[in-house]
Amino acid sequence: MAVFQLPEWMALAPALIMAVTALALFVFDSISPRSTNRSLLAGTAAAGSLASLAVAVWFSTAGVGTPTIDGGLGEIEPIHGLVVDQLALYFMIVVAIVTALVAVASYDYLVDHAYQAEYYSLVMLAATGMSMMAAANSLVTIFIALELASLPSYALVAILKDNRGSVEAGLKYFLIGALSSAIFVYGISLVYGATGHLYLADIAAVIEAGGADGYGSLLGLGILMLIGGFAYKTASAPFHFWAPDAYEGAPAPISAFLSSASKAAGFVIAFRVFTEAFPVAATQELIGLDWTIAFVILAIVTMTIGNFAAATQNNVKRMLAYSSIGHAGYALIGLAALSADGGELVMGAAMMHLLVYGFMNTGAFLFVALAEHWDVGRTFEDYNGLSAQAPVACAALVVFMFSLAGVPPFAGFWSKYFLFTGAISIGSTAMLAVAAALVVNSALSLYYYSRLVKAVLIEDPLADRGALDQPTGLYAAIIVAAVMTVALLAGFGPIAEAATDAAAAALA
Amino acid sequence: MAGTGIFSYAPAIALFPLVAFVVALVFGKYMPKKGAIAGIFATAGSLVLSLAMLAAVAGGEVYHETIYEWTSGAVASEVGADGIEFTFGILIDPLSALMLVIVSLVAVLVHVFSLGYMNAEGETGLPRYYAELGLFTFSMLAFVFADNLLMAFMFFELVGLCSYLLIGFWFRTKSAPSAAKKAFLVTRFGDYFFLIGVVAIAATFGTVAFAGDDSFVTAAETAIDDGTQLFGFDAQTWVTITGLLVLGGVIGKSAQFPLHTWLPDAMEGPTTVSALIHAATMVAAGVYLVARMFGYYALSPTALAIIAFVGGFTALFAATMGVVKDDIKQVLAYSTISQYGYMMLGLGVGGYVAGVFHLMNHAFFKALLFLGAGAVIILMHHEQDMWKMGGLKDKAPVTYYTFLAGALALAGIIPFSGFWSKDEILYDALIVGLEEPVILAAYAMGLVAVFFTGFYTFRMVFLTFHGEPRSEAAEDPHPVGWAVKVPLITLGVLALVAGIANLAPVYKLTGIELTFLESWLDGEYGAVEGLTYSAYGELLAYEAGTIGTEQQTVLIAAGVSLLLAFSGAGVAWKLYNVPEPSRHVTKLGGAYTVLRSNYYQDEFQVWLAEGVTQPIARAADRFDRTVIDGTVNGVSSISLFGSNRVKRLQTGIVTNYAALLVAGFIGLLLVLGLYGGWF
Repeated sequence: MAVFQLPEWMALAPALIMAVTALALFVFDSISPRSTNRSLLAGTAAAGSLASLAVAVWFSTAGVGTPTIDGGLGEIEPIHGLVVDQLALYFMIVVAIVTALVAVASYDYLVDHAYQAEYYSLVMLAATGMSMMAAANSLVTIFIALELASLPSYALVAILKDNRGSVEAGLKYFLIGALSSAIFVYGISLVYGATGHLYLADIAAVIEAGGADGYGSLLGLGILMLIGGFAYKTASAPFHFWAPDAYEGAPAPISAFLSSASKAAGFVIAFRVFTEAFPVAATQELIGLDWTIAFVILAIVTMTIGNFAAATQNNVKRMLAYSSIGHAGYALIGLAALSADGGELVMGAAMMHLLVYGFMNTGAFLFVALAEHWDVGRTFEDYNGLSAQAPVACAALVVFMFSLAGVPPFAGFWSKYFLFTGAISIGSTAMLAVAAALVVNSALSLYYYSRLVKAVLIEDPLADRGALDQPTGLYAAIIVAAVMTVALLAGFGPIAEAATDAAAAALA
Repeated sequence: MAGTGIFSYAPAIALFPLVAFVVALVFGKYMPKKGAIAGIFATAGSLVLSLAMLAAVAGGEVYHETIYEWTSGAVASEVGADGIEFTFGILIDPLSALMLVIVSLVAVLVHVFSLGYMNAEGETGLPRYYAELGLFTFSMLAFVFADNLLMAFMFFELVGLCSYLLIGFWFRTKSAPSAAKKAFLVTRFGDYFFLIGVVAIAATFGTVAFAGDDSFVTAAETAIDDGTQLFGFDAQTWVTITGLLVLGGVIGKSAQFPLHTWLPDAMEGPTTVSALIHAATMVAAGVYLVARMFGYYALSPTALAIIAFVGGFTALFAATMGVVKDDIKQVLAYSTISQYGYMMLGLGVGGYVAGVFHLMNHAFFKALLFLGAGAVIILMHHEQDMWKMGGLKDKAPVTYYTFLAGALALAGIIPFSGFWSKDEILYDALIVGLEEPVILAAYAMGLVAVFFTGFYTFRMVFLTFHGEPRSEAAEDPHPVGWAVKVPLITLGVLALVAGIANLAPVYKLTGIELTFLESWLDGEYGAVEGLTYSAYGELLAYEAGTIGTEQQTVLIAAGVSLLLAFSGAGVAWKLYNVPEPSRHVTKLGGAYTVLRSNYYQDEFQVWLAEGVTQPIARAADRFDRTVIDGTVNGVSSISLFGSNRVKRLQTGIVTNYAALLVAGFIGLLLVLGLYGGWF
């Protein structure tokens, strides 16, 4: 494939392209801070993320990360602490897709909005951080990447400076984020204290060699605090409290961005840390328990809280926020299953779910963005009868809702199905309980998702809302997301293979 | 067995009436006879082609060809093939060729007769009538030449649908739609078992073909020989079970006890339709199916014994009810049930030839009797009560003599056709019965029924044609035209001479070979391998006994049945062949009420529906509403309640969040710390 040999640092190109785009937007912002050239700004951001996507896909197909035995190029580690392998590329692709969709959709959302260049450069910076998270394989780089993703996010949530909800949401997000980061970084220091290393492979080596004997409880506490940090980033219980308020107050495209890309990035560091740094058997011997039990508990609690709280919401965006917490619970199953043989199948399923989720959840939030753009209101009732006025967008919404609920034949069904069958096939009591919780929560989720479908399709509008325009960017992003949610069906074989390979490679 | 020569036209036998159906439906309104002409030409075409098939089979050829495969796939059947194919195919062997001729002949005659019965009487809705007749004929013909069980089932159902439509032809009356619904529901009840049987056979053997090396009959035989276990049953037991499931459809369609109740009500349809249903299509389909897959039943003595016993019982049961009916068509209806009972008895005792022989003869004489009854109804200005008739003998000689021929055949009086076939059935039943008590009981019932048959038949003849006219209509009958007379004469001749086809007693007594039908069905002219009388004979597990020599047994059997038939007819002659016959109700005492009420079968079935099924349905409904709905509603209430609680955790105050977050974290820490022994 590679006709000419690229320098090693080029392996980080997907993240670097994001960074360069962010910097370019920064420069533009310094020169012309009040520019409202939406086409240029949104175009630059979209082009940057699409380029990142293209490069990541190219690397993937070219065999970066595929073990050299299988004819691939192997893992590339340009800098100590950053690695480009299948797992990293997979999540770089997810992040790039969501970023591109959000950038395109923001084109219309930001009409009459100030600080446009600032907005796009913050989005690109956060995306850079998320891409870096995918590649980070040392606790230091992980923390830095995580903060790089988080700090622009706080600003993005609060970017509607004249909107009290937005500002309040930003502050809450920041405070909870600061608390969580403190816990996370403390966890890092405890792990360092117990093992003397920050590099994931070295930590594992020390644990397996018995170099941390006697520091079991210290290490256990450290691991638990790390879990806290991941739970915050993925909006899992009990670190999920920021999510409903932040998603509701933030501009809808940013909600989409945070709930899809940021969550996926949170999962990739969790996957990497727990597969590489803490081998199940050796760690269990040291700390006295199997750490996956923590994920079993978190998965069940998270999906239950998310779905139950979503069931009776009146505000559509808030419902989606809680549903996003529920989906974090589903993806946590991938980590809960790691202890046993065949864990890579479930982890692969969780990764598939995050990819599918990147389309369907982003699409759903973008529909909310569209509704905000039309100014129709925020509750279910306000959405009544929209399908008569905007049939295409509402058809897309139906696809998103049913896919989120896991109704066949949409992609959301298949990823959930693989999660379920994977969990069942492991067959331990804990996994059966998780599978049962998955089924019960999915059934409940169908209730609130179909409420929204019913509102837009069946109910009559409460009031005459006048003509609705058709913003090009938002429509394009929504339709692409909907088409991909359906079209992923056709490509599910290769995606499942890629996800499972990446999971297996990470576990190996 | 390639589709050569005349056989390549085989599909047209069924397709002609289908075309007639479409033509009558679309253009019937504008045609001079409202579609009758199209129907006559189509069925005549079918008849010609069927005769050509008959000739070809006589010339030693047979035809077995798949016409269209609509699906196939790999399945795991219990034995045999790994894949299964569902096809439409045509199987023309001696049996189906014979049946094709019978069906198309009766269909032609019914179409012709309809000109006199329907057109001349100024009925409305004639295009619909002829369209449905066409579809009916098409379905039956396709059913007859079906080469596999699934195709047979599909056309079996279509036959059922058409009879529903035709029985309910006068849908503006109150009784006709009700009778149509009853016919549909009762036969559907039987067909339900048939469908399960088809699925079971397909799942067991991976094939539904009737003939050939990969037929389910061959597969079943192999399974029994190998002692294979099928679905946890001994192979023979499983064959019995599946055979009986299919038999459910037969019992419904051929109006055997206990699913016979639809048939008398079906008299609500036009008399021509009754003739078609009883002689050649709907009711015949059931018995024909048993004959078609006789090799399968022959593998299971239990199934055969059940067929024989049900047949014998039905023959007697229906005959007794026919004794007290006043409506000429009702008498014929019960005679039909009774006669199909004989056929089942014949097939059940292994008398494949006898059963098919009676099926053929019955088709002719019962069509004759129904058309004759139709003629009487025309004569009588649509009066059907026999007590208002009388004295028609001299006023309508053609109708009288042809009807008499049919009656003699039905009663089994020598030398009319019915005698020969019925006698052969009873003879076959007797020789097997000498070894098997159950069959002997079935034989005895069949024998007693002969007496009743003779009685009710001649009661009908005497009341209708003899004595003095008992109403104005009977004194001045409406004339009938050639369209009525031609079919009557044709069938009258057949009722007289059709018996020649198989004079088995003559052969046994004198050695003169007059057993054409037996040779025919035994494949002396041409047959598909395995579907012959002698092949079936090898499968049968029956042993035959004799009383004295074979000749003596033949004479005794024939003598007894003839004696009974004559005595039945004689009693009728004594009681009713008088100028002013009376009802003789009191002589029967309490039995009269029971017989008039048809043994309370309808009441029993209504009770089953209202007294048993309905309470169960109500209980199920209550269970569904209270327990199931209650659970579902309860779950949703609890969920919504829980949802409200969970929602309140989110107070909107960030310090609460921080507190909850830390509390949650500490909780998790405590659980895991205690579990892992960190403290």
